[in-house]
Amino acid sequence: MRLELRDILIKNIQFGDVSEIKNHTLYVNRQDIESLVMEDEHIKEVLIDIARPGEEVRITPVKDVIEPRVKIDSDTGMFPGVISKVRTVGTGKTNVLKGSAVVTSGRIVGFQEGIIDMTGEGAKYTPFSETNNLVLVCHCHDQIKAQDHEKSVRLAGIKVANFIGELSIGLEPDQVAVYETLPLLQNILKYPDLPKVAYVQMLQSQGLLHDTHVYGVDAKNIIPTILYPTELMDGAIMSGNCVSACDKNTTYHHQNNCVVHDLYKKHGTEINFVGVIITNENVYLADKERSSDWTAKLAEFLGVDGVIISQEGFGNPDTDLIMNCKKIEEKGIDTVIITDEYAGRDGASQPLADADEKANAVVTGGNANELVILKPMKKVMGHMEFIDKIAGGFNGNVAEDGTITIELQAIIGATNEIGFNKLSARDY
Amino acid sequence: MKYIMVTNNPKVYEKYNDKLNVDYKQQTYKQVLIRTRDMIHSGHKLLTHPLSGSVKPNETVFKTIIVSEQQNTLDLDSLRIIEQSLETAKKFGVNQHLMTEDLLNDFGLVDLSLIESVIIKLENSL
Repeated sequence: MRLELRDILIKNIQFGDVSEIKNHTLYVNRQDIESLVMEDEHIKEVLIDIARPGEEVRITPVKDVIEPRVKIDSDTGMFPGVISKVRTVGTGKTNVLKGSAVVTSGRIVGFQEGIIDMTGEGAKYTPFSETNNLVLVCHCHDQIKAQDHEKSVRLAGIKVANFIGELSIGLEPDQVAVYETLPLLQNILKYPDLPKVAYVQMLQSQGLLHDTHVYGVDAKNIIPTILYPTELMDGAIMSGNCVSACDKNTTYHHQNNCVVHDLYKKHGTEINFVGVIITNENVYLADKERSSDWTAKLAEFLGVDGVIISQEGFGNPDTDLIMNCKKIEEKGIDTVIITDEYAGRDGASQPLADADEKANAVVTGGNANELVILKPMKKVMGHMEFIDKIAGGFNGNVAEDGTITIELQAIIGATNEIGFNKLSARDY
Repeated sequence: MKYIMVTNNPKVYEKYNDKLNVDYKQQTYKQVLIRTRDMIHSGHKLLTHPLSGSVKPNETVFKTIIVSEQQNTLDLDSLRIIEQSLETAKKFGVNQHLMTEDLLNDFGLVDLSLIESVIIKLENSL
């Protein structure tokens, strides 16, 4: 499978009379966006705004972040099984509006969380302070069920990102990168002397606000399977996960999975990157047994020498992570796990809810309990109503001048467990 | 498989009490974990992870855990998981937020949703 990613660099975003891309600026017509979002009968109002890097803006609560992309010369589109035909993606050409993002916000439940500060201390911890963001604050009708509410806001973001992506059709890219993975046997023959490596990606899949969708299928109902890495870049995976802001994977993270990108960088020189195994993180312990058995079986079946395993979320996924690690190691395959830590504000507590001596190669995305002080911003997109009640907040955490003292776990992507962040720790 | 739902969530009680075995009591999040640990010591097997959901133990007040109705010899995996979960809950401390009706409703709803997906699977197995 071969995919050409064609980056069109977006350096500014503005409202305009016509939605278009000109001279690296994305112009957005409000009416175009409003019409698209308001197609959904559950949504009664959408507030559309723009947040650029360096501006005194706070976006909260953040539901999802999506990178506008579009498939060209293809009979399908982004997010197959959701807004495009159910066809396998990951081949052909895809335009990427690099430097832009669609951010969805709005209250689904009272403890809705996630902060993006576009400047100041908080901006250092989230990658989305560096993107030109189109922000959609969606308000749904009062009597809507939470499940429908989540779906409406999720699809609003996906549809708008798709619309913006389509504005790039016909534009020449500023940079092009090609990613290719051959069918397994050909791949192994091509690099017979290099160690074979697979990536095991764990997907959050527990229930309301904790879901992920694979080709439109709720991930809690899948058994582990194999994807070509390029499928992730074309929207095969969509986030419906709204909880644990610091270590959830937004759709943007799935589109730009940096484990995949880093493995591709070493593919053919240091390692032979053979593919991705996706698995889930369910509540039912029998599901955990089944899924970890299957990841280990698939890793063995692929004949790999090593795997990288990334986690998503907090608490019970620690058990999935350790089960995956242990069972894959027992097959004689080396593992490296990527996680984050809830080690207390002083960093001295046991960081994970599960452990095993076989988990002896660990990459951490940082300590989610660490405190950070966020100065007030001139403008808030969304609301700060529950900023003391969300994860990482506490009674009295908002000072009179509006300064917030909060744990890193409140910031979107701060301790991301695919490593799409800036924190880590080293110990040998 | 026959099972018991240990919960402090009124929404779980209301939905399932008529048809399933629900061990409901007004108690704290931590007390639900301790009650489950005691049941594991008396031979019940843990069927769902006690730290279900990414909502933190010092954030929500509701918790539902499912154990087997059948008692057998002590299941060490169950014991390990419940003890680790209790340690994690202790680390996060007690919920000190002032709860509104809306918030209680939302936390209850998420806890119920997490357990609903398991009930469907349990009802489809022997």
